[in-house]
Amino acid sequence: MALPQEARVKIVVIMQSLFNVMKKELSQTMRDRRMLSTLIISPVLQLVVFGYAIDLDVDRIPTVVCDQDGTPRSRDLIQAFFADRTFLRHEDVPDPCDAQNALESGNAAAAIIVPRGFALRVARADAPEVQVLVDGTDATRAQVAANAASQFLLVHGIGTETGVESAGTGASLAFRVMYNERLKTPVYMLPGVLATLLLNVTALVTAMGLARERETGTLEQVLVTPIRPSVLLAGKCLPYVLFGLIDILAILLLGNLIFDVPFRGSFLVIALGSFLYLFSTLGIGIFIAAFSSSQQQAMLGAFAFMLPAMLLSGFMSPISSMPPWLRPFTMLIPMRHYIEIMRGCLLKGAGIHDLAQQMIALTALGAGILGISVARFRKRLA
Amino acid sequence: VRGRRHRDGEGGAREGGVGVNQSLRRTRAIAHKEVLHIIRDARAVYMALGLPVVMLMLFGYGISQDVDHISMGVADEDRTPASRRLSEALAASGDFAREADLASADGAEAAFRSGRVRTVLVVPRGYGRDLARGLPAAAQLLVDGSDGATATIAMGDAAGIVKATSSARPARASLGQGPRVRARFNPAMRSAYNMVSGVIVLILAMVASLLASLTIAREWERGSMEQLFATPVGRLEIIVGKLIPYAGLGFVQTLLVITLGSYMFDVPIHGSLVTLFVSSTLFLLAMLGTGLTASIIAKSQLVAVQFAMLVSYMPVAMLSGFMFPIENMPWWLRGVSMAVPGRYYLTTLRGVLLKGNGLDVLARDVLALAVFAAALLALAVWRFRRRLA
Repeated sequence: MALPQEARVKIVVIMQSLFNVMKKELSQTMRDRRMLSTLIISPVLQLVVFGYAIDLDVDRIPTVVCDQDGTPRSRDLIQAFFADRTFLRHEDVPDPCDAQNALESGNAAAAIIVPRGFALRVARADAPEVQVLVDGTDATRAQVAANAASQFLLVHGIGTETGVESAGTGASLAFRVMYNERLKTPVYMLPGVLATLLLNVTALVTAMGLARERETGTLEQVLVTPIRPSVLLAGKCLPYVLFGLIDILAILLLGNLIFDVPFRGSFLVIALGSFLYLFSTLGIGIFIAAFSSSQQQAMLGAFAFMLPAMLLSGFMSPISSMPPWLRPFTMLIPMRHYIEIMRGCLLKGAGIHDLAQQMIALTALGAGILGISVARFRKRLA
Repeated sequence: VRGRRHRDGEGGAREGGVGVNQSLRRTRAIAHKEVLHIIRDARAVYMALGLPVVMLMLFGYGISQDVDHISMGVADEDRTPASRRLSEALAASGDFAREADLASADGAEAAFRSGRVRTVLVVPRGYGRDLARGLPAAAQLLVDGSDGATATIAMGDAAGIVKATSSARPARASLGQGPRVRARFNPAMRSAYNMVSGVIVLILAMVASLLASLTIAREWERGSMEQLFATPVGRLEIIVGKLIPYAGLGFVQTLLVITLGSYMFDVPIHGSLVTLFVSSTLFLLAMLGTGLTASIIAKSQLVAVQFAMLVSYMPVAMLSGFMFPIENMPWWLRGVSMAVPGRYYLTTLRGVLLKGNGLDVLARDVLALAVFAAALLALAVWRFRRRLA
């Protein structure tokens, strides 16, 4: 060892006090069974429930049929319309007004109306028309439904100026879906759910925990002892990194077993990304605690960060759909980078080279937040 | 007075006019104390009122479920005017944003893995030649399927654009001349309409249940609950007194979000304000009841918040149908979602705001909300009494 004796002793003392604080924090947490279930069981439970809930695959849309034409041709069309199960035949009505009423009352979410004379116009190639109404209240669903309907009608040559087009000439586009071939949503959403749950376990719990010690004044008492403030903070927070890692393992395992989330990348990339992410979320927790004087403030502060962060992380809505002025802000959200790392690694088998940018961003964010908040916390305590 | 304290909370009410008066006075005192408590913590009030505005702005201006500007890489191996026309047509539509040019289709994998692009257009050599000769000419669109919803929309959009541009008579086939698909109630399919009602539900669920979950746990933690028990205040009086200020705060938030929503995003209010008012009150009460129950059971603020989040906020966010359609859930989860008050509130909000429904259509949902409100508040009172004994 190149270090002088004095420095070595110092390090040993620091490590010892860190270990002691951690031990105290751990036993305190473990003793409270409710707390333990909050940290481990509840995230896993939420993952299972929400993994099933988060199914954006739009299919079986209840649809009203209004066939005014009543010819074999219109019946064939309607049958084909329901063939791929995107739409589900809910009921048949004679009058288009009834179709509208069904949409209004929410009994159906779409309606297909074939007007009189449809078959005749098809036969004459005279621009046959079919009307599809979609309940736009739920925009995502409506967009998918409208798209599916448009595609269907295009394929059947309805509503275009030229009527039935002869197939085979002109340009066409072939599609190939990669990585998530069956287009399952839970596979894509799991990293986002994981990031959210971890944010709760680390940021909210540490923020409120530290605020509580401030409220009761126990933090000041410990500071009278020779333990350094930064060691105290580290000892209080590191156990939550441990809980976070247990959660990650459990969630990835269950995700793989229940929701077929693949594990195509390397374990090392996931471990590294998770460590970096947990440090940044802990930093956020300490940051919030440093700026709040009561648990109520800490709770509201944590939510004031968590809710916008969830929205801007690309968890539920693509970042590319956001307006250009907002997109740079998403770079400041650790969740965004973590979600990209997890999606890339789990689904696409991306390695550390592919994800270098996200890793660097996460490191910088973590170091920045942690640095500022620890400095601020020490100042307020001293 | 000492004797009454040990009876039911409603004990005061049964003893005639004087008892009712005193009971009301005590409730008012508790409410007054709680109001002072809220106001004293000015920062918390700002956050409670500022958060809905931030959420609304983000949802309204920032977050869009409308999928456009899907990042696209172009691997143009053909390099003819025809192939350029194809990639330009996709980019010009606004549905796709050309983010990267790849030398060949081999680069697609790496571009997908780093997350730079979600689609890659591959135009093979000979595409322009075939098209000029009137032969079938096929380009390929590789789609990153990780995000299933976006992938589906991307394929639909691309099919439409290619169909339109490759039409035999391009002069007549304008892009706007699509098939006859129309959205009702929300003709432009704007997310904002859907969002405003969703934000109201989320914000009320959050602030009402989470803030309420702190109130009683706080008294336990600080030991002031014992002091409160030493006074003649009954359990019902404590609960009602604690409830009123937070219900008031929730109302201010509801009004704030609805007003801002209708001014900033032109969200229409087609239906009756009475229905809106009644259902909002009932939902608030249900959420406050959940929060208070959590507070009574947990006895510590940290655990109470987690508990309230698990039983009220998260289910409202995930199972109310705001973000994820209930129809797609498995049967057992659909059953669980029946027990989420937010589901009924969201239906009434959407009905009143967008469809102009009245009480006649929404009676079932409002009734469900009333049942939840009554049951949850009763649960809070019941648990509270048991804890005392």
